Amino acid sequence: MNEVEELRPVGETTQFIVIKLGDEQYGIDIKYIDNIVRMPHITRVPKVDDYLKGVINLRGEVIPVMSIRIKMGLEEDVETKSSRIIILKLEQQGTIGVIVDEVKEVVTLENDRIEKVAYDSKDENANFLSGVGKSDGGLISLLDLNAVVLESV
Amino acid sequence: MDVSQYLEIFLDETNEHLQNLNTQILSLEQDPENMDTINEIFRAAHSLKGMAGTMGYKRMQTLTHDMENVFSEVRNGNIKVKADMIDVLFQCLDALEEYNTNIRESSDEGTNDNGALIKRLNDIMSDGSEGSSASAGQTQAPQAQAAAEAAVGGFVGIKLNESQQSVLSEAIKQGKGVYGLTVKVQESCILKAARAFLVFKAIEETSEIIVSDPSSQDIEDEKFDLHFSLIIVSEADLNEVLTAARSVSEIEDVSGSALNLDDVGAAETEESHAAETEGAAAEAPAQTVQPVPAAQTSAETPAEAPAESAQTPAPTPAPAAKKAPVNKPVVNRTVRVDIEKLDTLMNLVSELIIAKNSLVSASAMSGNSSQAVNEQIEYLESVTTSLHESVMKVRMVPIESTVNKFPRMVRDLQKKLGKKMELYMSGEETELDRTVVDQIGDPLMHLLRNSADHGLESAAVRKERGKPEVGSIFLDAYQDGNNVVIEVRDDGNGIDTKAVKNKAIERGVITPEQGDAMSEKEIIDLLFNAGFSTAKVVSDVSGRGVGLDVVKSMIESLSGEVEVKSKLGEGSTWTIRLPLTLAIIQALMVEIGNEKYAIALGSIQTIEDIPPSDVNLVQAKEVIQLRDLVIPLIRLNEILDIPSKKDPEENLVVVVVKKGDKLAGLVVDELIGQQEIVIKSLGKYISKCKIISGATVLGDGEVALILDANSLI
Repeated sequence: MNEVEELRPVGETTQFIVIKLGDEQYGIDIKYIDNIVRMPHITRVPKVDDYLKGVINLRGEVIPVMSIRIKMGLEEDVETKSSRIIILKLEQQGTIGVIVDEVKEVVTLENDRIEKVAYDSKDENANFLSGVGKSDGGLISLLDLNAVVLESV
Repeated sequence: MDVSQYLEIFLDETNEHLQNLNTQILSLEQDPENMDTINEIFRAAHSLKGMAGTMGYKRMQTLTHDMENVFSEVRNGNIKVKADMIDVLFQCLDALEEYNTNIRESSDEGTNDNGALIKRLNDIMSDGSEGSSASAGQTQAPQAQAAAEAAVGGFVGIKLNESQQSVLSEAIKQGKGVYGLTVKVQESCILKAARAFLVFKAIEETSEIIVSDPSSQDIEDEKFDLHFSLIIVSEADLNEVLTAARSVSEIEDVSGSALNLDDVGAAETEESHAAETEGAAAEAPAQTVQPVPAAQTSAETPAEAPAESAQTPAPTPAPAAKKAPVNKPVVNRTVRVDIEKLDTLMNLVSELIIAKNSLVSASAMSGNSSQAVNEQIEYLESVTTSLHESVMKVRMVPIESTVNKFPRMVRDLQKKLGKKMELYMSGEETELDRTVVDQIGDPLMHLLRNSADHGLESAAVRKERGKPEVGSIFLDAYQDGNNVVIEVRDDGNGIDTKAVKNKAIERGVITPEQGDAMSEKEIIDLLFNAGFSTAKVVSDVSGRGVGLDVVKSMIESLSGEVEVKSKLGEGSTWTIRLPLTLAIIQALMVEIGNEKYAIALGSIQTIEDIPPSDVNLVQAKEVIQLRDLVIPLIRLNEILDIPSKKDPEENLVVVVVKKGDKLAGLVVDELIGQQEIVIKSLGKYISKCKIISGATVLGDGEVALILDANSLI
C-alpha cells in the first residue's frame, strides 16, 4: 500500500520523530522534516477548509499550517506550552506546517519492527497510517504524510 | 567539442537575429531599395549562419547560407526585391524559428531539411543571375563581390592614422620588414577571441603589431567573423612570422605579404580594382595576398612624396560602400543575467524591506526613540526604497521584444484574411517586469487577431461605409502611474451588442429576460465568458472558442485587468492595465476585527467616512451614494467571517475600490496606514481562497493577507 514501505530493505533502520496527539503516539519519518518550531502567531485565512489553520512567517517565508487533529476528525487543538509546529517538506505540496501537541523524541526503528496496517474503509484514521512501529516506549502509529496532507475534495 | 554550455547564448542570440530579420524584411517590403536594410539583413543572416555552423546545426546553416546568398545578390543589385521573394524569406524565417524551437526543446534541430524553401531560394538566385548576365555580361561580378565580402578582413582595407603611418615609414627606413597579415580562423572554432589572442602573442614574439582590423578591442570582444588582419613591423622574415602564427591551433590559414608604405594608402583607392581581381580567386578567400602585388604595381606610379597627402583624402572616397556593413548600430554594454539570480536579488531586497519595517515598528514600540535613531531609520528607508527601485528596474524590459513580432503577424493575417490592414504601434519602449513581458505576448496576439478577424470589415464594406479601404489597428503602450496600459484599438465595425446578446441567449449563457435587462457594457462583458465566439465562420485566425476568456484569465493572472469600449460601426478599444511590478507594492493596511489586511493602493479610489444613516438598501443590498454615484457596500467582516469590533452606530470607514469602471465600497473597522509591502504567495496548498491574492510579512513578523479587490467586486 505504501511505496516507501516497500522500498525499505529489511534489517535497515528508519528514524522517526515521535509526536503526541492527545494520548496517542505518532511517528513522522525524519526525512520529511525540515524544522520544528514553537507555536508562532498563526494568521487565519478565510474561506478555506477548517483543517487549514492559516499561515505563519517562517524566516520571511509564508508557510501554510494545518491541523492533523481536525483532519483526522479529533478534537480541536488546544495550544499549550508544549505545542509545536513541524515543518514538512513534501515533494508535491511543498513546504507545509502541521500542529502537534508535543514532540517527544527521535526513535530508530529496525524495519522488521514496523508492521503494515491493513486498509480499512471503515476506520478513517487508519488510512492516515503507513504502519505501526514497535519501540521500547510502546506502539507508535506511523503517519502516512501524503495522506494526511492530501487536500480533501 | 562540447558546445552545450553555449546553447543558451546561442538560442538567445538566434532569437534576437530572427527578430531583427523579421523587422528588417518588413521594412524592406516597404522600401525595397534601402541599402542599409539590405546590409543589415545580410549581416544578420551571416551571423546566424556562422552561429549555426559553430553549434553544428547543419540544416539551419544550409538554409541561412542560401538566404545569405540571395541577399548578397540583392546587395549587388543583381536581384530586385519582389513581393514573392519577401514571402519566401518570411517562410525561411518561420523555418528557422522552428529549428530554434526544436533546439530549445531537445537541443536538436530536427530533421526538416526545408528542401522546398532552399529550392525556391535558389530559383530566385538563378533568376537574378540570368538577368544580370544579360545586362552586364560580367558574370563574375557577383562572385567578385562575394569574395570581396569574404575578404572584408583583408589587410588591404586597413586604414592608418598619421602616427601609425609615421611608425611604419620609420620602420622601413630602419630596414625592418612591414608585413600585412590576414588570419583566418577555422569555422568550427569556438573561442575565436582566445585563438586570436594566441596569434597575437605568437606574432608579438618576433614583431610589433601596429594596427589590426577589426580593432584589438573588437577582436577581444569576439566582434569579428572568421578573418582579421594585422599590419606588423618585424625584424624577422615574413615566413617566420607566418609559421609562428600558423602554429596556433584552430587557425585555418595565415597569409601575408610585405608592404610598402604607400600600399596602404593606395590600396584604399584601388580597392574596387583589387576586389575585381580577387574575383579570380573567388572561392579561396584565404589567398587575399594575391591582389596586393597587383595593387602594389599600380600604386607604384604615384610619386613617393605625395604619400602623406594621399593618406588624408583616402578614407573619404572609398569607404561609402565598404563602411556600410561595418557601421553597426551602437551596441549597449549589457550583461546577460539569469532571471533566477535577479529573483534572488529581489527576494533579498524584500527581506531588507521587511527588516526595515521591523526596525520602524520596534523603534515606535520602545517609545524612547531618539532623534538620531529616527534620522537613521529615515535614511535607511530612503536607501531601501531606491534599492528596491533599481532592482525592479533591472528586471524591467521594454515590451518591444514582445510586440515586435506583431507587424509581421498582421502582414500574414492580411494575406490570410484577404483584408487590407495596417498596424500602427507606439510606446514599444514602455518597460514592464520581465515575467509580465514574457507572458503578455499571447493575450495581445489574441486581441490583435480578434481585431483583424472580427473587428475590421472587408475592403468592400469599408468603402461602402465611407471608411478608408485599409483598416487600421493601433497598439499603444504607455505608463500611467504605477500601471502600464496597453491599448489595442481598431477602426472596424465595433462590437454588435445585439449579435452578442442573441448568441448568449442561444448558448444559454443568459436568459432572454436577463438579456433585456442588461446594459450595453454588461453585454460586451459577456464576450469574456468561456466558450464564446461571435465569428460566424470558425477560422484558424480566431474563433476557436478559446478566445477572450483566456485573454482575460491570463491578464488577471498577471494581476492586470482588461476592458473593452466599443462603438458600433466605429471600432473598439481593448485596454489592458498591468501593474509595473508584481513583487513589492504600496498598500493600505486595514484592520477588521482583530485581523490585519492589506489592500493594494493601486485599486483604491477614495476613503470615505459614512454615517450609518447614509446607507440605503437597493434590491436588498446595501449601497451608498457618493458624488452622484451609487456604490455597493461590501462588509468585509461578513465576507471574511470575523466579528466586527465596531459599534454599529459609529460611522463606517469605507475604502472605495475600483475595478475597471466598477466601484465598490469595502467596509473596514479601522485604517492602519500606508505601507510598502512585499507580496508572498500563499502557495498552491491554499489556493481555494479567491479573495486573498497573497500574503505579506509585517514589521512585527506577523503575516497579513492581501485582499484582492478585483475579485471582491
